[in-house]
Amino acid sequence: MTTSTYIAGRGFLYWFDARAKLLTVVLLCVLVFLPMRQLGLWVLVGVAFLCAWRATDFKQALQPLRTILFVLIIMVLFTPLTYRDGEFILFIGQFPFITREALVQVNTLIARFLGITYVCSLYVWTTPMADINLAFRWYGLSYQAALVLTLAFRFIPFIADAFRMIQDSHALRNAVRIEGETGKRQRLLDVVPTVTAALVFALKSIPYLAMTLEHRGLGSSVKRTSYRKLHAKGGIFTHVLLSVMIAAVFFLVFITI
Amino acid sequence: MKEINPAKKTALQIALMAVLTAVVVVFTLMFRVPTPIKGYISLCDVIITFSAFLFGPWIAAIAGGLGTGIADVIGGFPQWAPFSFLIHGAQGIIIALIARAGLKKGVPGDAKLFKMILGGVLGMLVMTGGYYLVGGFLHGFKPALVEIPLNLLQSGVGVVLGIIVSRTVLKAYPPVRSLAL
Repeated sequence: MTTSTYIAGRGFLYWFDARAKLLTVVLLCVLVFLPMRQLGLWVLVGVAFLCAWRATDFKQALQPLRTILFVLIIMVLFTPLTYRDGEFILFIGQFPFITREALVQVNTLIARFLGITYVCSLYVWTTPMADINLAFRWYGLSYQAALVLTLAFRFIPFIADAFRMIQDSHALRNAVRIEGETGKRQRLLDVVPTVTAALVFALKSIPYLAMTLEHRGLGSSVKRTSYRKLHAKGGIFTHVLLSVMIAAVFFLVFITI
Repeated sequence: MKEINPAKKTALQIALMAVLTAVVVVFTLMFRVPTPIKGYISLCDVIITFSAFLFGPWIAAIAGGLGTGIADVIGGFPQWAPFSFLIHGAQGIIIALIARAGLKKGVPGDAKLFKMILGGVLGMLVMTGGYYLVGGFLHGFKPALVEIPLNLLQSGVGVVLGIIVSRTVLKAYPPVRSLAL
């Protein structure tokens, strides 16, 4: 199982510091809920899409759209049918389908959701997971919480491989089952031994990991060193300032008040 | 009951949280049951319920919240990660607090069945209600109604399997009691 979401590339987003980038993501995600012009929301979606295209390729840039396509379809189908206030502008036969206000509502919701999706996706595509962890540390995440995060990432592929082997061996045992015993209830019950075996396997590793952490000096009052550090070219202040400026420009240009 | 040295307790807590977080991620991404309307139900709730029954509210909250958050990031839904962290974290806390209420000895997995079910049902409501609220906020309250049955199904399966699995794990691997804090 691949746990990395980072896609290697070049450009502004890769130069931009992980901490400032995180601040930009949060600011932009908050801004899209303020009273913005619809054009502003679509400009954000467009810019985010172009950044994704430049940072990766066209196919990868479409990936966030594909993952939320089903939700978007539900939004397009449901919102006009449930939002009935205002002047109807489209009729299907005798049936009044959509009002002007519903159209505005659908448009806003889709643009907002796409904007948030692309902004968040861009962050995890252009920032290595270790840098994201360090950025959280910079914003005050405790050493122990960061350690849990790092260890979890270290364990995911190991546990995933073990679980796959357990699944395969249980599937082999079930292969000899006679017909008529493969109903939904049986399939659900078949999950129990697999899950139990997988959990016991994972639980057995916990005492060893706890012991290792102790031997590595967990709980010591000596300040911990860090193998990796974040370096912001030009200084972190410049990056944070840039981050605030991006959000402020976006806010001032497209605010409706 | 023998008191555990605080440093040892911290090491054990971190190990428990890290491994269970990894297990939640794996169960969210690997054990998926397809649903008729082009979606998947994951088994992450099984591990959250299991963690809540056996290891208490904080381990369940961190493992459940962090695990589902990481799974969202890895699985291509990073916009849901902070919300999953909060919702599944709250789900773990609620299940554990109710299941272990009044339990003086043993692990929460020894709790009475009705308490486990009650905790599980309230956890289901927290999870379904939480995703409905966030879904409504992100893409409209009416379209978010579609997700309610699927979330109820996912968390319902999670509670049933979580209760069964916590009992079977206690039988299959008795030393797990020594890990419960």
